[in-house]
Amino acid sequence: MDTFGYLGQGFGVALSPYNLVTALCGTLIGTVVGLLPGLGPINGVALLIPIAFALGLPPESALILLAAVYLGCEYGGRISSILLNIPGEASTVMTTLDGYPMARKGLAGVALSLSAWSSFIGAFIATCGMVLFAPLLAKWAIAFGPAEYFVLMVFAIVCLGGMAGDKPLKTFVAALIGLFLSAVGIDANSGVYRFTGDNIHLTDGIQFVVLVLGLFSISEILLLLEKTHRGQEAVKATGRMMFNLKEASSVFVVNIRCGLLGFIMGVLPGAGATLASAVAYMTEKRLAGASGKFGQGDMRGLAAPETAIGASACGALVPMLTLGVPGSGTTAVMIGALSLYNITPGPLLFQQQPDIVWGLIASLFIANIMLVILNIPMIRIFTRILAVPNWALVPVIAIITAIGVYAVHATTFDLFLMIGIGIFGYILRKLDFPLSPVLLGFILGGLMEQNLRRALSISNGALEILWSSPITFGVWVLTAVMLLLPLARIYRKRALQRRAVADV
Amino acid sequence: MLLQRIFAAALLLACAGLALMAWPYQASFSYEPVGPRAYPLLMLGLMSLALIYMLFRPQPTKHTEEEPALDRATLIKIGICVALLIVFAATFESLGFILSSMLIGIPMARLYGGRWLPGAVIITLMSVGLYLLFDKAMDVPLPLGLLDVLEN
Repeated sequence: MDTFGYLGQGFGVALSPYNLVTALCGTLIGTVVGLLPGLGPINGVALLIPIAFALGLPPESALILLAAVYLGCEYGGRISSILLNIPGEASTVMTTLDGYPMARKGLAGVALSLSAWSSFIGAFIATCGMVLFAPLLAKWAIAFGPAEYFVLMVFAIVCLGGMAGDKPLKTFVAALIGLFLSAVGIDANSGVYRFTGDNIHLTDGIQFVVLVLGLFSISEILLLLEKTHRGQEAVKATGRMMFNLKEASSVFVVNIRCGLLGFIMGVLPGAGATLASAVAYMTEKRLAGASGKFGQGDMRGLAAPETAIGASACGALVPMLTLGVPGSGTTAVMIGALSLYNITPGPLLFQQQPDIVWGLIASLFIANIMLVILNIPMIRIFTRILAVPNWALVPVIAIITAIGVYAVHATTFDLFLMIGIGIFGYILRKLDFPLSPVLLGFILGGLMEQNLRRALSISNGALEILWSSPITFGVWVLTAVMLLLPLARIYRKRALQRRAVADV
Repeated sequence: MLLQRIFAAALLLACAGLALMAWPYQASFSYEPVGPRAYPLLMLGLMSLALIYMLFRPQPTKHTEEEPALDRATLIKIGICVALLIVFAATFESLGFILSSMLIGIPMARLYGGRWLPGAVIITLMSVGLYLLFDKAMDVPLPLGLLDVLEN
């Protein structure tokens, strides 16, 4: 099996002292960033891109840093959900349901270490899945031509809307905004300046980092202005810090089940960690039946979403690495990072730069182990960070965000653009539009246009090429299913309502 | 609901404007059947369709407990915050990083409910510290502006 040979090589890359230190720094930074309100994994990773680039890190170390920050952020978000009952981001909402009650019962330390352990198992299962399936998928993906890629990206966008459930139309509009924004700047094929308004700073398009930091950081800063409650008392993490063997074995089956589920959900574009954790929690709740104390501090209720989040975070890397199609906001950011290093993710990456791919996979293992170990001695320091008041935090976030933007091109135009995008993002948020589709659309947009034009060049303008091959046809069918899914859901809901009315 | 309609209408207008802007985009010579105009127009068209639907049938908006409906006080605060950020961007290079971040950081700390003195101390320390960290330690060049004289 040469897969295992490659994996060994990857561990060789990830275990070099330099990369180990990088991963350690990444997990620490990530945990702090995840803890703080106003910074999540998406802008945490985005902030570090220009900095990693300025530091002159080699590409594999930079990727390891970003992956470690990402995992650390997820972990930091967990701390605030368990101790404060405030989910750091959408995917950790399910963690608060049983994590906070556990902390109230005096099991805060156990809850934290158990959730880290669950997430580790989830990531472990998903990484195994990735090791098994990613090379196969990469081999298969070589057969993909431009037409196939175009259809695949249409599928990814539609998936976003179909999976988002309660607001498909808003998700769709958000994705289209991103898809459109990617067209700003000089057109690579013809040299036409598009939507630049003769502004020299827009010639090579909107910078990715500017978009991300504007959408996520600036809008969050504005949002923090109106949060009424502040300085909520964190539950003290005292007593036993480590879970024991009995507790671990009691949730082991849950871990395995949710790990598999999370991996599959992660691989599907658009589904992501939020949906995976919700589905995992609901499934386990149903399976446990009356015996479960879900919502009152059941360990299974904590383990299920955490395992699923860990697994889907790693699963989302599969389509990103093999196809170059990101499935979630964070993987979209990572693609942005890769493109800074002039690395195009896709099937050929596995052959041309196995160091990067397998080094990344191996470092995910290592970063997860580090987080479990870090958890025990550091938790008191981390809880202290939670007590930092907003008035000290927000100006510093604003300043650091500006540094991150300025580091890309060293122009103040980017700062103004960031503020403009931030205000737009704030309006979108207030109107309950999801923001990560904008990001995904922005990343996919450029690829989508290129592939569409290339495909039509091959066929000399005949549109049939977009559905004539079996792969494209199959993906169109899946796309149609995804489009019909929300419609069917709405129809079913209406039917239920009608029946309810009829009963009365 | 009304806000969403206004937003959809504004975005729709923007789409129309951008489409007008995109109309003359034509490659002077080209070997490919699809020019630079098709893709943006396709996206704008799809977006307009979705927005028109939204105009007639606004989607429900969920408000969480943490985010109360906007009132006058919050709007003023948001206006001040945006103004501060714009001042920051405008003075970033002329005043230099340290001075401009102090200039906006201290009122911002006040805006988020801090007191003047602790806010001033923390922001001053942080802006000098961040400058040293990023410019000196991490090789991210930041403008010194007025403080340029101190450099040499």
